Amino acid sequence: MMENLQASFNKGPSVDSSKPIKMKTKDVTVHYGQKQALNGITLNIPENQVTALIGPSGCGKSTYLRCLNRMNDTIDSAKVAGEILLDGEDVYDPDIDVVELRARVGMVFQKPNPFPKSIYDNVAYGPKIHGLAHSKQELDEVVHTSLRRAGLYKEVHDRLDEPGTGLSGGQQQRLCIARAIAVSPEVILMDEPCSALDPIATATVEELIDELRENYTIVIVTHSMQQAARVSQLTAMFHLGDLAEVGPTEKMFSNPGDKRTQDYITGRFG
Amino acid sequence: MSDATANGIADTAATRKPRRDIGINKRYAAERRFKAYGIIAIAIGLLFLVALLWSIFSKGYTAFWQTEIRVPITFSEQVLGTPQQANESQTKLLMANYPKLAREGLIKELGIDPDDKKAVSAASGLISSGTRVTLRNIVMNDLSVIGTTQDVWLYASSELDSAMKGQYDLSVPENRRPISDLQLQYIDKLKAAGNLEQRFNTGLFTFGASSRAETAGVGVAIIGSLYMMLIVLALALPIGVAASIYLEEFAPKNKFTDLIEVNINNLAAVPSIVFGLLGLAVFINWFHLPRSAPLVGGLVLTLMTLPTIIIATRAALRAVPPSIRWAALGLGASKNQTIFHHVLPLAAPGILTGTIIGLAQALGETAPLLLIGMVAFVADYPATPMEPATALPVQIYMWANEAERAFVERTSGAIIILLGFLAIMNVTAIFLRRRFERRW
Ligand SMILES: Nc1ncnc2c1ncn2[C@@H]1O[C@H](COP(=O)(O)OP(=O)(O)OP(=O)(O)O)[C@@H](O)[C@H]1O
Ligand SMILES: [Mg+2]
Repeated sequence: MMENLQASFNKGPSVDSSKPIKMKTKDVTVHYGQKQALNGITLNIPENQVTALIGPSGCGKSTYLRCLNRMNDTIDSAKVAGEILLDGEDVYDPDIDVVELRARVGMVFQKPNPFPKSIYDNVAYGPKIHGLAHSKQELDEVVHTSLRRAGLYKEVHDRLDEPGTGLSGGQQQRLCIARAIAVSPEVILMDEPCSALDPIATATVEELIDELRENYTIVIVTHSMQQAARVSQLTAMFHLGDLAEVGPTEKMFSNPGDKRTQDYITGRFG
Repeated sequence: MSDATANGIADTAATRKPRRDIGINKRYAAERRFKAYGIIAIAIGLLFLVALLWSIFSKGYTAFWQTEIRVPITFSEQVLGTPQQANESQTKLLMANYPKLAREGLIKELGIDPDDKKAVSAASGLISSGTRVTLRNIVMNDLSVIGTTQDVWLYASSELDSAMKGQYDLSVPENRRPISDLQLQYIDKLKAAGNLEQRFNTGLFTFGASSRAETAGVGVAIIGSLYMMLIVLALALPIGVAASIYLEEFAPKNKFTDLIEVNINNLAAVPSIVFGLLGLAVFINWFHLPRSAPLVGGLVLTLMTLPTIIIATRAALRAVPPSIRWAALGLGASKNQTIFHHVLPLAAPGILTGTIIGLAQALGETAPLLLIGMVAFVADYPATPMEPATALPVQIYMWANEAERAFVERTSGAIIILLGFLAIMNVTAIFLRRRFERRW
């Protein structure tokens, strides 16, 4: 009974239909060895919108995020099944190379992971390997713009040749964001990008996300209800490997349709 | 206002509850005990090390000095032939009786009657018969010395050398020591005239094998070892690193790769002599490579070093944090780019350390080289790795089997040289690691 309700809700028109669908997953399941982590997730991610994934710890948000750019391929025990579409194309299609996919679907990780190289090299690495800049000036331009957009330029413009790992945690995270947008992906996946940041840095990143929405499609995992409410247009609630509910953020927070969502956002569990 | 109440919290010191006993003292006692054990362990280790080094250095440092005698040599045309004859044919020069020149020079110097057979033989026992080569080289290099008289420093015989270094007990009766009273008189006379000196023994580094201690050196062994190290480095490093990268990053994890892994780990524990047998069977008997050649030695040592390098490299690769890989992969770097741009540079210090440890092991390895015939009497430098040579540890092994006193000190001297090379390698490793290691 409950299952049916759930399914109909998911397939319903709750997703913002004014925007085209950028990514689409149909019945995606993930197993880690014998253990099932995702039990058939069907979700549409609209273009130029911020989609927030919320839910209690261990419910599979990161796992789902990693499906979208096939980072689960790097985990030996992970087995992904179901359909994952980017602009209507299956990301597992032999026509789409995983390298190309990841250039189109960038990722910012939960823990800042700058390369042990200079700030400049960190940001320049992506454009370099994809041949996006044809001269030193162009590369400089890309690096500077990306840093500026990530709100880091002012703090580091006079020490671009210093190690990226020497920055503070919040600066490192923004460096990772700059690194991700330097490749000009179409979709940016962010796994709790603010979990290590103070409120001011968090605000910077949130502003950035809001700006980025114009040009990019963003999927963000967050544990902060306020953050989800502030930055996202669409919210998806995960629970124990299921998609409990998905809908416009405003509606989700004002009038959740699912008991689990209700409990979660009012802090009764999670 | 006291500080305690400054922020509005009352000082509770007065009302503090009695402390609980949570075993603090016992914990510290355990810590102190463990520290003491550690210090004792290190002290014992250091003691053994000092004892070892002391025994080697106290015996070996004299090997770096060699007693030499200054003798006025008359390069007579009677013995050598005229320079014109020498220009036409060198056979006479090569075959000439150089020891006679040395003997006559020394007799004149000591003022001995040439007809006094006993005195002459005592005197000639003071100079090494290796002077043949010394004098021949002088003449061959410069024919104009023929017909002149020159002061030449000649190697003293090993008996004189040992006597000078105080290695013989001179208080025992004359017939029970290798040096006679008459010879001792001559020695005093030469010393008084400043014609007897201990000089730095360059020959120890440049000579090859010789049955006479004073003209025996580790030159050929050093060249042999050097060739082998180059071969090991050139083969084991690329093969080992490539194998590790493949196993660690690309190979599927299945029964077969597990089997390979287990075998590599076991190979590292295989006694080195087994590798020698393998080399003998495969490289010499099957491929017909020459015996005693550094090439074969290098190949055998490569096989022996490979597991060490592979294990060290895999550990170094595994130690690179996965987040770095994810960062690169998430940006769309291919697997190859991820490995070569990010993982390998971070693993380089570890790989280097493993390689140097492997090389050091190979440098000190003796047993497998004995089996492929590197324990040979090689007097001439090998021009290529295909020509016979020995290796430093093998040279030490061979000298250790000689009974003569002068060889005993040379054995320790060669050990010091070997330790010197190992120290240089380790310093290089540290230096390289510092350069590659980026702690950021
Ligand atoms: N590499 C892995 N190997 C095995 N199991 C894993 C792996 N990664 C995640 N899992 C399991 O999959 C389930 C979902 O994990 P996931 O990391 O997606 O949760 P999450 O929603 O991101 O949690 P959090 O909010 O704590 O980050 C968990 O039960 C976890 O134990
Ligand atoms: Mg997570």
